[in-house]
Amino acid sequence: MTGEKKALNFIARHGAVIGICCVLLIFQMIEPRFMRIDNILGVLNSSSLLIVMTFGMTMVMAVRGIDLSIAQVADAAGVIAAMLILSGKNFAAAIMGALLFGLLIGIVNAVLISYLGVPAIIGTLGMMFVVRSAELTLTNGAQPQILFTLPAARVKHFFFIGQENIGPVSVLILLTVVVIVVMYFVKERSVFGRYMDAICNNVRSSLLAGINVRRVFGATFVISSLLAALAGVMLVSRSGNAVPRGVETYLTDCFVAVYIGTLVSSRNKFNIIGSVIGALFVGFLSNFITLMGMGIAYKNIFNGVFIILAVALGVLKSRVNA
Amino acid sequence: MLDKKRLRPAKVGTLLLGKGTGVGMVIILCLLGLRAPLFFDITNIMTILKQGSVLTMIALGLTAVLIGGGFDMGAGALVQLTCNLTAGLLIAGAGTAAALTSGITVGIGVGAVNAFLVIVMKIPTFVATLGTMFIMQGITSWYNGGKALTINSIPGFAVLGQGRIAIIPVIFLIVIVVCILMNYFFKHTKTGLRMYASGENPAAARLRGLNTRRYLLLSYVISGLILGFTGVLQCSYNYGASAITSGMDFLIQALSAAYLGSTFSKTGELSVIGTVISGMFIAALSNGLIINGISNQQISGVLGIILILSILLTVIKKREIGQVTIF
Repeated sequence: MTGEKKALNFIARHGAVIGICCVLLIFQMIEPRFMRIDNILGVLNSSSLLIVMTFGMTMVMAVRGIDLSIAQVADAAGVIAAMLILSGKNFAAAIMGALLFGLLIGIVNAVLISYLGVPAIIGTLGMMFVVRSAELTLTNGAQPQILFTLPAARVKHFFFIGQENIGPVSVLILLTVVVIVVMYFVKERSVFGRYMDAICNNVRSSLLAGINVRRVFGATFVISSLLAALAGVMLVSRSGNAVPRGVETYLTDCFVAVYIGTLVSSRNKFNIIGSVIGALFVGFLSNFITLMGMGIAYKNIFNGVFIILAVALGVLKSRVNA
Repeated sequence: MLDKKRLRPAKVGTLLLGKGTGVGMVIILCLLGLRAPLFFDITNIMTILKQGSVLTMIALGLTAVLIGGGFDMGAGALVQLTCNLTAGLLIAGAGTAAALTSGITVGIGVGAVNAFLVIVMKIPTFVATLGTMFIMQGITSWYNGGKALTINSIPGFAVLGQGRIAIIPVIFLIVIVVCILMNYFFKHTKTGLRMYASGENPAAARLRGLNTRRYLLLSYVISGLILGFTGVLQCSYNYGASAITSGMDFLIQALSAAYLGSTFSKTGELSVIGTVISGMFIAALSNGLIINGISNQQISGVLGIILILSILLTVIKKREIGQVTIF
């Protein structure tokens, strides 16, 4: 094997891990506050909802679908939860309302895309705009729904998810760990997950093998909308107010996280553990940009560069493997 | 007997595909006009043609990529970028010609970068253009510093977006000229027809001996050229550039126009003329809804529904699960 080939092989195998570590190290060198323990805990806390949202995208993308509506669903679910609390409902009703909304959108998406055959990218893009316009109409032109000014007794239970600690760990992180474990078993260790892999590899042969392709494909959209709604509730509970259109930027973060996640798997598959790593990386990246006082412009550029780098590395990897 | 008469979804779909889109558009517009007679006023119609022109141009740029078998998430972002660039140059005192050339050059450049990522680096079209979209958004907000760039009316430049010949807006005439040129290119030249072929069925085109990569490159460059030019038009139409960088609203409307346009053809084939008609229809619809007292917030929802319905019309015949092989 020539030296050049060896180098290519090495980059393909370990490039992602080395790259991520290098980027984090460089950040640390530029900004010494970066790796302080309280900063790391803060990043973990704020990345938790990105992780939950990323899982939805991972599930959909693992069967070669795509869901552009998740950020908007998270947004609207948060607003719905906040409005229910403001109108005097208790916390359980608010959370259930938000999750039901996610379920509803997920089912509509599934019917449109899996049963009627609308291409996923068009169907969910359309849905994103429908949800957005419903949300803006509902909130009278994007008025923020403020919860933290309410009397503490009314919002105490609702804020428990986002602002309390059990022992040293925050409830938000614990909840995320539960979601990670559940999703790991659904995606990597269950029959359903195997069906998803089969559909990803070859739709026709999995149909012949007796898998209900439409149902599995549709189910991923329901899961992704549900998780998005959960993330929306987590965010509102953490920040204490719901600003319409405030979650929209998370969509781009999800893409970066999911694509970085594929590099963790040896065959470039979309996988849960990878998505966690990807989401944490994105969390640290945004944190660094905030610490340095750089604006949205740099964040967008970083996002774009990392997506292209991640996918290019993935392509290189599959070529070396082949 | 009953069995034969039963309307099967596929048959309804075929029927709608044949005539439905055109008839549907006319009915919807008539209904809107019935409630607000102002809608059919000649000045209002000219206003619609002017309002719809930028959108239609973006849709044309997108159509070029889609015909070649690619996809472009960054169409709207590219228009915003060149629009900001043009506004910045004009504020700095550059002339109309300089602004125009730089806009078009940047457009072609971005198209070439997209093509490079897709063809040489073998990155799936969706992801590659998503990446460049983020980068363009970043550059735009870095360039304008989050502020709107407003220009004063410059006589030579303002004609592009604001001028009228007799009563017809100049910008609409530009759309017509671009449409005729593109239609000639795609339907009547060898290169254009081959681009259709390589977009429709790359494997078959390759077996037939076509260099599909070359046609994909060409489609990205043509689209970049059109989108870059559209940015300049948008700058002239808008008296500058707005601070919104995402261009997502542009993207969804342009996609709707392109797919709605494809419902004119029996086989659901994308066409330049269909795109122009649909682009103008969407503009007329927004205008008519506003005249009828529907708020701006709801219009994007209506457009989302149109996008889904228009694609449903084309796919209802050949229903498979909506996988997109973009990864």
